Amino acid sequence: MADNDNDRLLEHSYDGIQEFDNPLPTWWKWIFYATILVVPLYMWDPLGIGVGPGKVKAYEQQMAALNAAHPKATAAYTDDQVAAFAKDPARVAAGKVVFTTYCAACHRPDGGGLIGPNLTDDFWLHGGRPSEIIKTVSEGVLAKGMPNWGKVLKPDQVEDAVAYVQTLHGTNPANPKEPQGARY
Amino acid sequence: MNARLDSFSYDDDIVRKFLWATMIWGLVGFLVGLIIAIQLPVPGLNIAPLLTFGRLRPLHTNAVIFAFAGNAWFTGAYYSSQRLLKTRMWSDGLSKFHFWGWQAIIVAAALTLPLGITQSKEYAELEWPIDIAIAVVWVAFAINYFVTLTRRRERHIYVAIWFYIASIITVAILHIFNNLSVPAGAFKSYSIYAGVQDAFMQWWYGHNAVAFFLTTPFLGLMYYFMPKAADRPVFSYKLSILHFWTLVFLYIWAGPHHLHYTALPDWASTLGMLFSVMLWMPSWGGMVNGLLTLRGAWHKVADDPILKFFVVAVTAYGMSTFEGPMLSIKSVNALAHYTDWIIAHVHTGALGWNGFLTFGMVYWLAPRLFQTEMHSKGLVNLHFWLASFGILLYVVAIYSAGATQGLMWRAFDETGRLQYPDFVETVIRLMPMYWVRVAGGLLYISGMVVGIYNVYKTWAARPAAYEVLVVKAAPLSEAPADRHAPAVGGLWTRFASAQWHRKWEGMPLFFSVMTAVAVIVASLFEIIPTFLIKSNVPTIASVKPYAPLELAGRDIYQREGCFNCHSQMVRPLTYETERYGDYSKPGESVYDHPFLWGSRRIGPDLAREGGKYPDLWHVRHMYNPREVTQKSIMPAYPQLQINIIDFAVIQKHVDAMAMIGVPYGDAVNRAPEMAKAQAAQVAASIEAAGGPKGLGDKEIVALTAYLQRLGRDIKNASGTAQHSTPTIKPIAFNASGGSR
Repeated sequence: MADNDNDRLLEHSYDGIQEFDNPLPTWWKWIFYATILVVPLYMWDPLGIGVGPGKVKAYEQQMAALNAAHPKATAAYTDDQVAAFAKDPARVAAGKVVFTTYCAACHRPDGGGLIGPNLTDDFWLHGGRPSEIIKTVSEGVLAKGMPNWGKVLKPDQVEDAVAYVQTLHGTNPANPKEPQGARY
Repeated sequence: MNARLDSFSYDDDIVRKFLWATMIWGLVGFLVGLIIAIQLPVPGLNIAPLLTFGRLRPLHTNAVIFAFAGNAWFTGAYYSSQRLLKTRMWSDGLSKFHFWGWQAIIVAAALTLPLGITQSKEYAELEWPIDIAIAVVWVAFAINYFVTLTRRRERHIYVAIWFYIASIITVAILHIFNNLSVPAGAFKSYSIYAGVQDAFMQWWYGHNAVAFFLTTPFLGLMYYFMPKAADRPVFSYKLSILHFWTLVFLYIWAGPHHLHYTALPDWASTLGMLFSVMLWMPSWGGMVNGLLTLRGAWHKVADDPILKFFVVAVTAYGMSTFEGPMLSIKSVNALAHYTDWIIAHVHTGALGWNGFLTFGMVYWLAPRLFQTEMHSKGLVNLHFWLASFGILLYVVAIYSAGATQGLMWRAFDETGRLQYPDFVETVIRLMPMYWVRVAGGLLYISGMVVGIYNVYKTWAARPAAYEVLVVKAAPLSEAPADRHAPAVGGLWTRFASAQWHRKWEGMPLFFSVMTAVAVIVASLFEIIPTFLIKSNVPTIASVKPYAPLELAGRDIYQREGCFNCHSQMVRPLTYETERYGDYSKPGESVYDHPFLWGSRRIGPDLAREGGKYPDLWHVRHMYNPREVTQKSIMPAYPQLQINIIDFAVIQKHVDAMAMIGVPYGDAVNRAPEMAKAQAAQVAASIEAAGGPKGLGDKEIVALTAYLQRLGRDIKNASGTAQHSTPTIKPIAFNASGGSR
């Protein structure tokens, strides 16, 4: 019946359980040796996929490569550029969605202000020029609690949100927050 | 042969008790798992304060590991050990003490964890009084077991017993050294280790809890119940020896693979990875010996649901012990860590290996223990199929969830920015898979319900009084009867003949000592550097202890189990620093007793949370996360605006911290005043921003102060501090516990 009837049974028996005297399976033995061989290979690292320079050095190299591949855009937005976003109905519509999702929690859905300032009046804490608004959104003002949205949103989304914010000016929502900052 | 035979009987009553405990706690543990699985897609089901995900998740893990798997091991160990050693347990009283003590500990866990009483170290959450109770019960179990070993009537100990011995010894060592802490009240303590050191100890413990609570005891069970059920000899005695010793020795080193890319030093991480890789074949030794034992009995497997359970169990064991070494490879781990991949991995082990081995064992035992026929073989089959499909749905969904989220976190777009910068996007993508998991869990639990019903009906058909079988066996002869021919040949031949091991098997106490030596030596190789780490941790001058109010906030963070979903450890990986900020340094957590690095990110990392949002944001976010982040799945904590901070207790907590070396300086004398002053400041900032008034003595203020502190110190170092934190003037560590 079974192919193992020829295996040698050891003489002992525990509560009726017996054991064969079979050798270690060859494949088992060789894979075990191979995993032990991984140790010197990993440490010596002849293939360059082993221990390497350590996690911090490796990170610094990868970061440098990332920065080299994608130099950060240095050109700032001009006022005209940003003002033009507000003229594009598609951008304003998309911006409204972004605003409702991310901004409304602090600035109220109608922009009247809550934790954050009123965005519908003439007063601005960090400058009301279009280029200043987009800078405030994408870089944040952490001391005042404005998050760095450039980290959470895509550039397109920031532009759309700012397009929408510009259309809020002068909408006079009910119960707005008192004016803060300088008139623009 | 000795003419005089001893007459004795086995204590099966204790086995019946443990069997029922296994089934009942199993159901409880699975149900809590189902509840927290539903809480993820339906955050409204978090009922604060007692029944939130953060408090229930430890209850689930503890119930499954220590209540279900623990009782299952004890069931099988008490049954098989008595028979393998041909003796009754030495003391029925100690057996009973073990049983009732263990159940009392489980009840204590089930009460304290929802109350938020926790050490917040994974699988070691239970607070110090319960830890002491565990140690006492464990010692009672060990004494009973080792005395029983000396009273055996079988000269040599069988492989199952080796595994039980290794488990009993190692669990005791792990439990004691990971839980060392300084009490700061009846139900509060702080780990004596901090930061990197604490993380190291915790995962030395955590990994080996998996090894010596869920792996080795169950291998012992497998070695008894599988050959019994299949009625076949074990495939290879030599393999048993080799895989036992390599497993016991190598497992201990593998813990640091839980901490790849964290602030743990590279050497430790590398050590953990290499030993995990070497552990693959020793783990598979058990699978090979199990599956090949079925040679010549495969025709029985189709017919016998018990063997089916065993085959799936051993196969699941093989899969998860292949996956473990794979996940320990650093680059694989970078993708999988913090994701559901790990959750899927442990469920392959727990549902497949531990669950199925337990079920097979229970069905094998039930007719024997209750001395009647199994009520229904059809229902055993039904359980098998329900549970099998349950596992399949569960793991397929959760592996996909893990891979999905891991890939989303690391995706960059063509402009070199994160493809999914908004964390919540990577969470809501998982919702369909979370529902499939719920379906899988439901199937698995319905299998368990069928099982309990079937065992209950079997029990109901038991005889009026159990027949007590009288066993006759010869007592152990004085001289070890080594009937083997003296070993011949060279060193290697003699070693390979395994006769030396045969001798060891005749000396169980010596065997136990050797096992302890293997475990302790391997541990010391890691623990000694761990204690030296304190001097290795680059100290950062700007890192200061938490102010008293922040410490109170940290206590709340621990109580609510925030670390179950939020890590505090940014890894040095491009996509992590892009998302969260600078990577975490070892010196940043030198005052973190215990460390709160976390192991899963259901929400984003918080290591750099301080200053990202205004105070009022946190107040509103805790009150109702969805008011601030529409798609958030975080539980709401409205009671934090109602609960009053216990200012009086803060002094005790600061003092306990000072006692373990945190340079608290001035705060050891006037912690409550300092806390009140800072609370008033935070409350004023909230009110000024238009938030709720009068929060100056509410818990939300303490929690906010803590969250606003996270990651600040290192920013202060670079001179960009903008948020004022009451500074604590450090004093030199005073061994007598402060300068009062």
